[in-house]
Amino acid sequence: MCASVKYNIRGPALIPRMKTKHRIYYITLFSIVLLGLIATGMFQFWPHSIESSSDWSVEKRSVRDVPVVTLPAESPIPERGDLSCRMHTCFDVYRCGFNPKNKIKVYIYSLKKYVDNFGVPVSNTISREYNELLTAISDSDYYTDDINRACLFVPSIDVLNQNTLRIKETAQALAQLSRWDRGTNHLLFNMLPGSPPDYNTALDVPRDRALLAGGGFSTWTYRQGYDVSIPVYSPLSAEVDLPEKGPGPRRFFLLSSQMALHPEYREDLEALQAKHGDSMLVLDKCTNLSEGVLSIRKRCHKHQVFDYPQVLQEATFCVVLRGARLGQAVLSDVLQAGCVPVIIADSYILPFSEVLDWKRASVVVPEEKMSDMYSILQSLPQRQIEEMQRQARWFWEAYFQSIKAIALATLQIINDRIYPYAAISYEEWNDPPLVKWSSVSNPLFLPLIPPQSQGFTAIVLTYDRVESLFRVITEVSKVPSLSKLLVVWNNQNKNPPEDSLWPKIRVPLKVVRTAENKLSNRFFPYNEIETEAVLAIDDDIIMLTSDELQFGYEVWREFPDRLVGYPGRLHLWDHEMNKWKYESEWTNEVSMVLTGAAFYHKYFNYLYTYKMPGDIKNWVDAHMNCEDIAMNFLVANVTGKAVIKVTPRKKFKCPECTAIDGLSLDQTHMVERSECINKFASVFGTMPLKVVEHRADPVLYKDDFPEKLKSFPNIGSL
Amino acid sequence: MQSWRRKSLWLALSVSCLLLILLGIPLLLRLAVPLRPLPGPPQVWPRWLDAELLQSFSQPRELPEDALPPFPAPYSSSCNWGACFDTSQCRSGGLKVFVYPAAGPISETHRQILASIEGSRYHTLSPGEACLLLFLSLDSPAGKPSLVPPQWNGGKNHLVLSLHPAPCPKTFQLGQAMVAEASPMVDTFRPGFDVALPPLPEAHPSRGGALGQLQQHSPHPGESLLALAEERGGWRVAGTNSPACPWDGRCEQDLGSEQTHPRATLPNATFCLIPGRRSDALRFLQALQAGCIPVLLSPHWELPFSEVIDWTKAAIIADERLPLQVLAALQEMPPARVLALRQQTQFLWDAYFSSVEKMVHTTLEIIQDRIFGASAHSSVMWNSPPGALLALPTFSTRPQDFPFYHQQQGSRPVGRFSALIWVGAPGQPPLKLIQAVAGSQHCAQILVLWSSERPPPPRGKWPETAIPLTVIEGHRKVSDRFFPHSVISTDAILSLDAQSSLSTNEVDFAFVVWQSFPERMVGFLTWSHFWDEAQGGWGFTVEKANEFSMVLTTAAFYHRYYHTLFTYVLPQALRTLADEAPSCVDVLMNFLVAVVTKLPPIKVPYGQQHQARPPLVSGGPGQEQPPDRDCINLMVAGFGHMPLVSSRLRLDPVLFKDPVSALRKKYRSLEKA
Repeated sequence: MCASVKYNIRGPALIPRMKTKHRIYYITLFSIVLLGLIATGMFQFWPHSIESSSDWSVEKRSVRDVPVVTLPAESPIPERGDLSCRMHTCFDVYRCGFNPKNKIKVYIYSLKKYVDNFGVPVSNTISREYNELLTAISDSDYYTDDINRACLFVPSIDVLNQNTLRIKETAQALAQLSRWDRGTNHLLFNMLPGSPPDYNTALDVPRDRALLAGGGFSTWTYRQGYDVSIPVYSPLSAEVDLPEKGPGPRRFFLLSSQMALHPEYREDLEALQAKHGDSMLVLDKCTNLSEGVLSIRKRCHKHQVFDYPQVLQEATFCVVLRGARLGQAVLSDVLQAGCVPVIIADSYILPFSEVLDWKRASVVVPEEKMSDMYSILQSLPQRQIEEMQRQARWFWEAYFQSIKAIALATLQIINDRIYPYAAISYEEWNDPPLVKWSSVSNPLFLPLIPPQSQGFTAIVLTYDRVESLFRVITEVSKVPSLSKLLVVWNNQNKNPPEDSLWPKIRVPLKVVRTAENKLSNRFFPYNEIETEAVLAIDDDIIMLTSDELQFGYEVWREFPDRLVGYPGRLHLWDHEMNKWKYESEWTNEVSMVLTGAAFYHKYFNYLYTYKMPGDIKNWVDAHMNCEDIAMNFLVANVTGKAVIKVTPRKKFKCPECTAIDGLSLDQTHMVERSECINKFASVFGTMPLKVVEHRADPVLYKDDFPEKLKSFPNIGSL
Repeated sequence: MQSWRRKSLWLALSVSCLLLILLGIPLLLRLAVPLRPLPGPPQVWPRWLDAELLQSFSQPRELPEDALPPFPAPYSSSCNWGACFDTSQCRSGGLKVFVYPAAGPISETHRQILASIEGSRYHTLSPGEACLLLFLSLDSPAGKPSLVPPQWNGGKNHLVLSLHPAPCPKTFQLGQAMVAEASPMVDTFRPGFDVALPPLPEAHPSRGGALGQLQQHSPHPGESLLALAEERGGWRVAGTNSPACPWDGRCEQDLGSEQTHPRATLPNATFCLIPGRRSDALRFLQALQAGCIPVLLSPHWELPFSEVIDWTKAAIIADERLPLQVLAALQEMPPARVLALRQQTQFLWDAYFSSVEKMVHTTLEIIQDRIFGASAHSSVMWNSPPGALLALPTFSTRPQDFPFYHQQQGSRPVGRFSALIWVGAPGQPPLKLIQAVAGSQHCAQILVLWSSERPPPPRGKWPETAIPLTVIEGHRKVSDRFFPHSVISTDAILSLDAQSSLSTNEVDFAFVVWQSFPERMVGFLTWSHFWDEAQGGWGFTVEKANEFSMVLTTAAFYHRYYHTLFTYVLPQALRTLADEAPSCVDVLMNFLVAVVTKLPPIKVPYGQQHQARPPLVSGGPGQEQPPDRDCINLMVAGFGHMPLVSSRLRLDPVLFKDPVSALRKKYRSLEKA
């Protein structure tokens, strides 16, 4: 508004000054502007038509309006599936070479309606579930709309149910896909394979080298490590909300809920029921229901009517018997109800069996042993059954619940095959969240006592107390197992003393200068550290004897995954304040050791520097305090183990400096340390520190034994 | 004026041209490169207007009303576990194995395999009671027909064990038999039915076997990144700074930093690159032993024991077609993963591959697991220390019940302990001891194992305790002390002898320590072993020393699972040995626990007031001498190696003998002189 007003004011003032000889100039200028405007208009118009295709697809439209493709009767048919296919023979991994972040890229062909020469459709255009599946892939990180960068191709031709399609024509439709190339890197999803009377266990549509995510594989059709076995989705999952029911004994021990059972199987089940009475229930379809009641949601036993799938929650074990097909949708219902499936389907490849440990969630009974089923189940201990119930429900929640869950698990499995070094572990696939949360996987789990010859590297953090530092260096250098000494010079304003002034010691001594005076410099994984064992020592710890340090190293060798230190500390729960409290008094327990003098594995330096949770590292550097408490938290959290305190308590005091103990007695210091514990516990989300009542002493410590025969005589003297 | 006008015209023209070009270029560029993705929303799968109206893939009526199933027609051409193995022949006792005797002279390998089956708990001499019949096709050279075994029955319930890496000499039809073969080809391997064996290295130890070579958890900073398996059989160490030049020798000329060790039988690097050929399967085992993480490039053979071992935890199976990506992935691998993989190689080597016996037992355990079904080993037991051969599913299928999975399960051992007091001859009720133990707040029950000639005293003669006291009549055999009596209700056992002398404080403190180390033995009195150069054998001493490797079971805490292991896993010969020389039983128990933990036991302080008494040795009077040195050497022979590990520390209470008021100390009486 403002600008246009100004222009109008200026305009009249400009025109009267115009002369004829200038007129042409202005006309030219005007025409240039006009030309420019036209060009801009064209520019605007052209790209608009390019972008319009994407706008058009985002725009909502109907499935009925998709383009129709007519398949000539003689168009090519792919070869039958190649049973010998493996990832390294039939899969073109080069297409996945340029996918970043170890994630495959998946392209989805656009939806078409395929008809034969007579205009008769080849199949239903798309089912609700297949649409959901493609939507899930399209919304995921795997999706790409660039066919040239894709590693995996998913046709939009719906083959979930073989009964809804014409086999030969569907195959022809597949073969004419733009990147088909014998089906290489194409993934088909099928849940209901086979057709009467013999019901093949894999999709009958010829598909050449295409991968098949199939819902009813048997050992004879499943190409191990190539195909993916997926669940048969139960549409009831979306309809019925079964809240999780805690594990424990339920009304029925064993239940069979399937409606279409082979008469022989039903006889077997009924015989079992006759034998075991009320603890077993065999349901059938209801024959006497009035019209209008959904028979799919009802099951009957004699004249008793039960709601399905709610009745599944009343049973501990639920039978999942093979029907015409090996894969049964009832498996999904049973898992949802937290009922342990008893799977009776010889040769059936269980869903996602490549990664899921079905032993933890189900019982597989051979068909010929059906009559022993009840006693097999009875032999399982109650606690194992409860864990299976929990596991069954967790499998449903993670991998069966929705079409999306099924689609993403399938893609993850294929992704893990292509990028095995970034694959998801067994625990990530199988452990329920509660177990994942409480379990600890110690990074140094192998019981191994490192050889003594390796020795340790002492790291002395110093600022400017040169005299005290030199005394520490001299003392530490007397320890037989010392292999290197590293001085971390944390003072940027002052140069370290000249080389000639340093004490002469028998091991290499290196000085590292830091860029900033930070406490975390003490825990940096310096390249100079060549041994696994690290001794962190302050430049004022001059009271530790050579025997004590050597013994500390020996103790570390027996506990290489722990912090092994000298002064011990404790955390306590303050009931009045309702928070944690730091304690440095003479207590019967320890949960921390001070890193003013402590042995630990150098891997923890890496963890401290790069993997410390939250903002703890910056917080410590900003407050110039509590780096040792942070290290104690870190190690206890990652290993689940307590510290080891070595040798009796000493007065940690040096004559000319404020030592750790001197400081610790300071009231404000104590308050700050308590604050650290509370802060770290909230960042870790738990209190990882473990309290123990023991410390490590030499075997003959204070025993009635000649001192000169003891390995470490000079221990505990003040 | 004219020139000025012309000038301005030219200027206007050139400006308009410039403008046109400027506007035109991007337009032309856009038209010329139509494939470049446009900025803006990517093309996604459309949200259909009528998505709600789409039909479900399976009509509600269709699923339940499937046509009735045809009965399964067993495929004659191929076998799987359900179709071709008859578990009904395996009665409740689990797997019983019959081995066909060898016809004619046999090789050393054959003898080793036979010995390890015959020495195992699975072995039976009668083919009638066996549920698995084992046929060793080891020595029959290809071409020479071997006879069809007498109980063949179409191969049902047979396992044909073949260690020939060459094409298996299938001299008779295998029928329904399972095949356990060294590095079988993936194309012919039947998962869940056949067993994939490792190739057998030459001169492999029968039992025990050397530990893996890994000396430290993390790779040494100077260690090479990669070693390559060479055609000639050695390993070539590739320098870390030649990433552009991978392994296949394509650019050998510029591998300046590499050193060649033609005679190096075991690689010294972080990763070991192994081609996918079947002949390289042995290299895989070498890498495993050396603690070098195997990187397998599209192996054409099935990895050993792949049915139960999660190889993704110990090896990297990569695609040979993407070598540069693999190399990049190795270089960028996070240290946590490298650490975990390295350690897993060592655990797997020690648990399943280091001796012929372990390989054979693993094979049989796999088949037994199939028979057990839901009561088999869980994946955790197979894939974490100490391994499935030492974790019996008959004890429990829950990892939390064992002493060694508490960390990874986030669980703790059950809170209290059972005192198990063994009373041998002459059998006086150890009243003082019972009172001391019953005084502990952690004690759940006291069990007296009465192994004396005389009958146990009547109920009234026993002291009154608040804690339930049960008397069990033993069989007067020393090994009976370690029988898994069903009355033991707690995880922890305090094993005692009638002659033991302990105070309540000592018991309390030792139990608290045990809770931190539930997989180890926590004891009061110790022995240590040593290598005796003069005698050329192992010896041991009961003298006080600066280190120890065994604790006496006459006063020790340990997990009740070790009773099960002692009774069901130890070879009968060793238990008989212990029965004949009762004091040897301590050595045997310490060996067993050390084999499982690979760690020393733990010593806690033992009050001086007891030490005037004669040293505690099992077996009562007449057995007070320490066992002779034969015992330890026989044990070493029986186990195949010396498992004991020495420790130089004792765990004391935090304030033990500190100059502080006794009132502050929780375990005061420990310090009484």
